[in-house]
Amino acid sequence: MNEDHPMDDAVEGDPEDWVRIVSNDGYTFLLKRKVANMSGTIKNSLDETGGFAEAGTRTYRSQERGIIVQKMIEYMSFKAYYSNVGPKEEIPVNEFMERLPPEIVLELLLAADYQEM
Amino acid sequence: MSSRRNNVRGPTSALTDFLRASVDTFISDLNQPAAGSSNSAQIPDSAEESVPLRRNQRRNRVTTRDEYDSDGLDEPEAPATKKKKITANKPKGKKTGKKDDEDDYEDDDDPYTALSKFGARARPANGSIERCAECEKEFSVSQYTIAATGSGFLCHPCAKKLGNDPFKKPTAPRKRMKAADKRNIVHFEKPRFPTLVSICINIISTHIDDIEAFGDIGTLNMDAISKAISRKRSLNSENVHLFYGSGNTSLTLYDATKLSPTALITLGHLNPNLTTLHLNFCGLISDEVMNSWRSSLPNLVHLQLLGPFLVRVPAWIAFFESHSRLQSFLITQSPRFDLECLQSLIRTSAKTLTRLGLREVGLLSDDFLGPIGLLSGQLSYLDISEPSQSCSNEAVNTLLGAVGSTLTHLNLSGHIELTDDVLQYGILPNITSLQHLTLSNLPLLTDEGVALFFSQWPNPPLTAVTFSRNPKLSTNSLVELLNHSGEGLRSLDVNGWKDVSATALANIATQARDLGKIDLGWCREVDDFIVKSILDNCKNRLTEVKVWGCNKVQGKWVTSGTKTKAKIFGIERAHTSII
Repeated sequence: MNEDHPMDDAVEGDPEDWVRIVSNDGYTFLLKRKVANMSGTIKNSLDETGGFAEAGTRTYRSQERGIIVQKMIEYMSFKAYYSNVGPKEEIPVNEFMERLPPEIVLELLLAADYQEM
Repeated sequence: MSSRRNNVRGPTSALTDFLRASVDTFISDLNQPAAGSSNSAQIPDSAEESVPLRRNQRRNRVTTRDEYDSDGLDEPEAPATKKKKITANKPKGKKTGKKDDEDDYEDDDDPYTALSKFGARARPANGSIERCAECEKEFSVSQYTIAATGSGFLCHPCAKKLGNDPFKKPTAPRKRMKAADKRNIVHFEKPRFPTLVSICINIISTHIDDIEAFGDIGTLNMDAISKAISRKRSLNSENVHLFYGSGNTSLTLYDATKLSPTALITLGHLNPNLTTLHLNFCGLISDEVMNSWRSSLPNLVHLQLLGPFLVRVPAWIAFFESHSRLQSFLITQSPRFDLECLQSLIRTSAKTLTRLGLREVGLLSDDFLGPIGLLSGQLSYLDISEPSQSCSNEAVNTLLGAVGSTLTHLNLSGHIELTDDVLQYGILPNITSLQHLTLSNLPLLTDEGVALFFSQWPNPPLTAVTFSRNPKLSTNSLVELLNHSGEGLRSLDVNGWKDVSATALANIATQARDLGKIDLGWCREVDDFIVKSILDNCKNRLTEVKVWGCNKVQGKWVTSGTKTKAKIFGIERAHTSII
């Protein structure tokens, strides 16, 4: 990505916009763009300058099933919130870890790897 | 009193001691009661009368010393502006108009100003006339008058001559402040926000004993999981058990750095039915491990190791003797693997060995090529690239004469002494069914030689061609190469062909439509049109385009509407964002 050309929000997408992520078994999740941008892949695909079709409809179709998408969105919200917190505040990672059931963790690992999270 | 009063000391810290030691010498010269703004509360008689005078000598303090004036904290207004300096060069600051009483308190108790309590002669009142100790002239005492060494006071010009310009801003305080700052460092430990991948890996590691909890995992996924875990070198002795299984026949670990020799021995025991073992970065494989594998992996026929540099000759030989049905043996980076090992390998697995790889094997030499020639009629994969010293044309040609007919993969990169002869007399006559050809870094190859070779070679089109880092190769070579292999090419690497012309490059798009990966690094003539045509024409399979060092490429095809799934690496000045 180039640093020379500052992106306009209007072109890239207003962070306060709502975007949609659909899982492969039909579950739909609505979330703010700034949360969705925590994932590199989703950010690029919803980026209107990228020329992907998803950008127009603001919908990202994931190849993962619903529970996986849900956990990824939980992580993205977690990250979006704590990214802006001061340096002295502790990030309750353990709490988040408790929310991930081990049954899905392998699938989640592959999905997270793909999503660059 | 002209003597310094050292008898008054508050609680002192190491810093104070240090400063005292270094500054003492300064102070002894000057011996000014006022300069040090001496705390004379302890000094008996003169105290009373000098107190009111000294109050006037308060100067502005550097405010950053607030924190050390623990004793001054009680004073309502004092701390902020009443800091004392220990250095002698303290001039008289302006009177700050603070309450007079507070001066004394601060004088007494502040440990950091304890130093400045040297004996002070009574200071005449401001405005009175005094005789200068130096020049004997009369002058009126002011706030800024400083005492002379010995007794008496100095007029302003003499004081300046001595270097004690009272009007000069104190520089020493900065030194003090820095020390203070050092003590007060705020440690910003920016915790790296944990990635979801690392969180998942942590959970896997904690639950590793309860593998059933993970549910059913397909074998294809295991490979992807292995890659994901290895990416950050997170694979360790615990979570590697995820990949073990008595029914496993194939095991690939992309980064085995953290597996200790014991863990590697365990690997053998827990996967007894392995036929294929591929370990990258397995530096910790020791003789012991190899010896253990002799018996624990009886069915092993494919072995690929990156980095087994610890294994010694006897261990290799013993391993080969126990595994006489090896089909592929590919190692990279071993300074110990010598001719004896190779001979043992050929001797024991002669009937079955079809793939041999000895990359970056330090002892590789012409002598090695003889025994390899014994594999005539069965060798399909040969990789002897990146040696410490190059083999000679003759030896290579002889080898290719022996084994060339069956070769599908050949890699001779890094044998810098090889010339066009190898192409003409080694490859051309002997090799007729090759698919992958890798000849990087053979600087003696010439453009004409390579062009001639491709124009005459009866081999069917190659699938993958890598001729990187051969800067002499240029237009003719590329033209003939495309003529020869264009239809079959899936991967092309001509990194470093700096003089290739634009017309030749333009042919890539038209003649090699099935390209999946292409590396055009440092081909200076590559520009946006060439890349655009590649992107447009090679739509089917293109996944990766590398244009490192191609200054003319700017990525303008994006705005002109070309869309592609391929990833493009190496654009220096992106016109717009390139995904």
